[in-house]
Amino acid sequence: MYLIEKNNVMKLAEELAKSYDLYGPVIDKETKQVFFNKVENASEISLTAEIPALPPKTIVFPQIERITKYKYDKTAKKAEIAMTYDDRSKAIFGIRPCDLTGILVLDRFFLGQEFVDDVYKEHRKRMFIVSNTCVVPFKQCFCVCTDSGPAADEGYDLNLTEIGDMYLVETGSEKGKAFAEKMGLKPAGDEYITLKKKAVDKSISLFEKVATDNKAWISRVMNRVTTGFIKDDVWKHIGNQCFECGACSFVCPTCSCFNIEDHNRFDGSTDRLREWDSCSFEGYTKMAGDHNPRHPVEDRRNKRFFCKLSYSQSKKYLRPGCVGCGRCQWVCPGDIGLPNVVTYIRREITE
Amino acid sequence: MDYKSGVCNFCGTGCGNYLKITDGRITGVFSSRNHPVSKGRLCVRGWHLHEWLMTDQRIDAPMIRVDGSLKKVSYEEAVNFMMDRMSAYKGKENKEIGFLASPRSSNENNYLFMKLARGVFKTNNITLDSESGHKASLNVLSEGTGFAGMTGSLEDIAKTDFILVVGSDLTKMNPIIGSEIHKAQMSGTKVVTICSRSSQIAKLSNVHLQIKPGSKKVILGALAKAAISSGAADSDYISKFTEGVEVFKNSVNSLEPADIEALTGADYSLITSIAEELCKSSSAMAFWSTGIAGLDQDTVSYIYDLFLVAGKIGKEFSGVNPIAGIANLQGGYDMGAAPDLLTGFQKINSDAASKFEKAWGTTLNKEAGRDIYDLLADKNSGLKALVVADHDEGIVRYEKEIEALDFVVYFGAYDNPFIKHADVVFPVAALIEDNGTYTNTERRVQLSQKRIEPFENVMPGWKLFPMIAAKASQNWNYSSAEDVFKEITSLTPEYAGLTYAKLIDSMGIQWPCNDKNPAGCRRLDAEKAGRKFKFADVSGNYKTPSATAEYPFLLIRGQGEHFWHQNNIMKKSYIPKREYNATLLVFPEGYVEICKEDAKALQVREHWGVKIVSASGAMKVSVKISDDVKPGTAYVPYFIREMITEFLLEHKSDIGRGEDAIIPVRIERV
Repeated sequence: MYLIEKNNVMKLAEELAKSYDLYGPVIDKETKQVFFNKVENASEISLTAEIPALPPKTIVFPQIERITKYKYDKTAKKAEIAMTYDDRSKAIFGIRPCDLTGILVLDRFFLGQEFVDDVYKEHRKRMFIVSNTCVVPFKQCFCVCTDSGPAADEGYDLNLTEIGDMYLVETGSEKGKAFAEKMGLKPAGDEYITLKKKAVDKSISLFEKVATDNKAWISRVMNRVTTGFIKDDVWKHIGNQCFECGACSFVCPTCSCFNIEDHNRFDGSTDRLREWDSCSFEGYTKMAGDHNPRHPVEDRRNKRFFCKLSYSQSKKYLRPGCVGCGRCQWVCPGDIGLPNVVTYIRREITE
Repeated sequence: MDYKSGVCNFCGTGCGNYLKITDGRITGVFSSRNHPVSKGRLCVRGWHLHEWLMTDQRIDAPMIRVDGSLKKVSYEEAVNFMMDRMSAYKGKENKEIGFLASPRSSNENNYLFMKLARGVFKTNNITLDSESGHKASLNVLSEGTGFAGMTGSLEDIAKTDFILVVGSDLTKMNPIIGSEIHKAQMSGTKVVTICSRSSQIAKLSNVHLQIKPGSKKVILGALAKAAISSGAADSDYISKFTEGVEVFKNSVNSLEPADIEALTGADYSLITSIAEELCKSSSAMAFWSTGIAGLDQDTVSYIYDLFLVAGKIGKEFSGVNPIAGIANLQGGYDMGAAPDLLTGFQKINSDAASKFEKAWGTTLNKEAGRDIYDLLADKNSGLKALVVADHDEGIVRYEKEIEALDFVVYFGAYDNPFIKHADVVFPVAALIEDNGTYTNTERRVQLSQKRIEPFENVMPGWKLFPMIAAKASQNWNYSSAEDVFKEITSLTPEYAGLTYAKLIDSMGIQWPCNDKNPAGCRRLDAEKAGRKFKFADVSGNYKTPSATAEYPFLLIRGQGEHFWHQNNIMKKSYIPKREYNATLLVFPEGYVEICKEDAKALQVREHWGVKIVSASGAMKVSVKISDDVKPGTAYVPYFIREMITEFLLEHKSDIGRGEDAIIPVRIERV
C-alpha cells in the first residue's frame, strides 16, 4: 500500500504513457458523454467521470477488428496471408471495478478454456491496469447485487481509492509493485486498511439513496433460471418487448459473442474482420436446413439471461455473468435490461 | 477522442450517435445518451451504421457510357458529356427532362439538386424517391394548419396521455419511436393500435383494434362519429380553433353502427369508449408511417379530422404525427423536391417564385411539374432524360421504363443497381465525408459534421453541382456546404433562424426557427397559429374490399424486418445482411402468413409451397403459420425482388393506395 496526493495522481498516468498506449475515461467536450478511449495526453483523463457509456471491453475486444489480411493472386494462384494482431502495449487507467470484473470474465472465456484466442491474448498480455474504487455510486449501478464493486478485489496492477486529499494505491501484481517503487510512492500506514474499508462501506450505504435506477437482487433469480422453473408466460412477456437490436450484448462488459466476415477492399485485398454479435439475433443460431434451436424471440432472450444468471454458466466465469453496470437498461428500447428482467422473475416468484 | 457525434442516416427518427474514427477510417458506432430523441438507444440498423459506411463498394470516379460500357473519366469530361447530351432535351417546355431526388441526401445536396432542375434545366418534374405517403400527409397538414410537418414532438411522447397508432409496425420501421411509445405505455399512457395484423406495437398496446383488412377509414370515421354523437367531442375547441366541421360531421354521420361492425369487425361500444377516452384525455397523439407503403391522403385526412374533433391539435403534448421512413424524407420536401414546391412548402406557382428568381439570377418555369413515377408509368409522357440521386426504390417498379429512356445521369456515393442504366455517373462524398443537415420526422434539423476525408477524393455536392451549373453559364458561388445552407435559410421562412453554429451547439433544432422562435419550435400552437384549422376534405367512401368465393383471402402486405428499401444499403452491412439471409434461407421465395385454422382448411403445413392467385397475377411462396393474423387474412412481407416485380406490380392501381392496398386472393396448394 502506498499513498499519492490527489493533485499528483495523474503523474502515474503520465509515466505509464511513456511505455504504453494510454486509455482512460474521457468526457466528450460537445456532448458530455463519457467514453473509455485512447488519449494523447494523460490530462484528458477524468477519474471522477461517471461510468463510461461504452465498457472498456472495446480495448481487448473491439466492435469490429481486422484479424487477418489476405490477397489472392489469380495468375500465380498464390495467396498472401498476414495475421494482423494488435500487439501494442496498453495501459488502462481508471477502470471501474464492474468493468474490470467484465475483463476478468472475458479472460476466462477467451483464455481460460481449452482453446486460447490469440487475437485476444495479444491485446491483453502486455496490459497494465489501474482500477479506481467507486467511493460514490452512480445512478445506474447495482454492483453490490452482483459482487463486482464498489471496490475491485483482483485483476489490477494498481488500485486507486480516493481517501480525503490522498489516493490510496494498492498493488495487485509484481509489475504494479515495481511501478509504485519506481515512482517513489510513499508507503501507507496500516490505518489505511480501516480508512479504505470505511470509504467502501460508505459507498455501499449510499446505494440506496444514489443508485436509484436499478435494483437486481439476483441470487433467488439465479436459482430460478438454473432450475428452469420460470413460466413460459414470463419469458413471453419479456420476449414481446425485445426489439432485437443487439444493444444489450454490445454494451455488456462480459458479452463475448462474435461473428467473422470477409471485407473486400477496393485495392483487391481482403480484410477478415471479427465483430460483435448478439444472441438476440435470429441469424445467430440459425443452422443449415432451417434448424434453429432458438427460433422464437423469447427463446433468444431467455438464452441471454441463462448465460448471465445460471449456475452452469457461472461455473465457467467463476462468478455471475452480470457485473451490475446498468448499461443494458439504458440502451434497451424494450425496457428489458437485466435489472427489469430480474424484477419480472422475482415478481413471479412472489406471486 | 475517437468517438465523434453524428446523426443516424437510416430512418426518419434521426437518432443521435457517435462514429468511431481511427486513423481516418470508421471503426465503430455508439449510441448517444444525451440525445433528446434517442436517449442512448439505437436499432439493429443504427448499431451497424459503421458497417455500411465502411464499405468499399463505392463509386470512385466519374464515368460515362462509351460503346455500351462505363468508362472512368475526369469530372470535366463527365460534365461536358452530360451537358452536351442533355442540350437535346432542353427547350420544348422542358417536359422531356425529369429529376429524381433522394430522401437520404442532405438538405444542402437536395437543395442544389432542386436548384439544378429548376434553375438550370427549367423543369419542375422533380420527385423525391420512395415518396407518396409522406407528401400526402404534408398536404393534409399544410392545407389544414399551415404547418407542413409533424405538429407534435417525439420528446413529448413520454408526456402524452393517449396515443393512437394507425397501421404500420412502428417497432420495426422506426424502432426508437416504437420504443418511446412502449415506454410511455409502461408508465401509464393509454395506447390504442389500429392494425389488421398483431404486430409488435399492437401487442405492446393497451387496446389492439384488429380490424378487417382495408377498413381503416371506416374505423377512423366511426371513432369521429362516436366522439360527436356521445357528446365527448371538444365543442369549445372546435368552435374556437377550427372551421368546416359540418361537412366532416355529415360524412361520418352516414356510418351506421351495424355497418361499422360489419365492415371492421370491431364492436361499436368499444369504439365509443375509445373515442370518449381520446376526447377526455388531457393530451393525445396520433402516429402513422409514411413513405412508399404509408397511408393514402384520404385516410390521413380522417386521422387529422378525428383529432380536430377531439381537440388534440396545437395543444401541449399533443399532435398528429406522420412518421418518415427515411432519414431526410421530411428534409427532402422542405428543400422543395416535389413538382409543385420550392423550399419550405412554398408553392412554385405563388409569389415566392420571384424571390427565388431574384436570388438565383434566373427565370423559373412557374407551372407545377409532374411526378416522375407518373411520367414513367405514362407511356405518352414524352420523358426522355432522367437525372437521379442516390436511388433505392423506384427501380424495381419501373426498371423497364427507365431502361427505355434516352439518357440517364446518376449521382451517388455507393455502388447501386441503378448504375447499369446510367449514361453518366458522378460520385459524391458520402455521409460524414462532408458537412450536411438532415431534418427528421419531427422537423428537427441536425448537422452531421465532416469527420473523414472523402473516398478517393470524390467531390462534395457543393463543388460538383456548381460545376454543372457553370457549364450552363450560371455562377453558383459556394465554398462550403455551410454557404449552401445560408442560401437555404435566406429563402426559407421556417429555416430563417438556423445557422451551422447554432446546430453545432445543439442536438438539432426543430423548425420553424425564426425571429419569433429563435430556439425552434417544439409543436404547433393553436393559440399562436394566427389562423383557424380547416377540416380536411374526406371522400365519405367507406367501401372495403371483400373476399369472394373465388378469392376468399384478403392479402395485406408489409416490409420484411431486415429488408430496407430494396436493401441496397443493408446489403453493404454484415449483421443485418446475415439476418436477411437467415430469413431467405428458410423462405427463399418469400412467405405468406396465415392462421392455424386456415392452414388446416387448406391442408398445408409450415414451409409448404403455395400459389397465391389474384385476379391479375400469381406468385409462389411458402406458408408460415402464425397467430398474428385472423382467419381470412393473408399477410405477405415483401423482401424478395421477384415478389414485387412479378406479383405486386401487377396491382399498380392498388399499390397507389399505400398501406391499405388490399388484394383479394386465393391460396392453392402446390
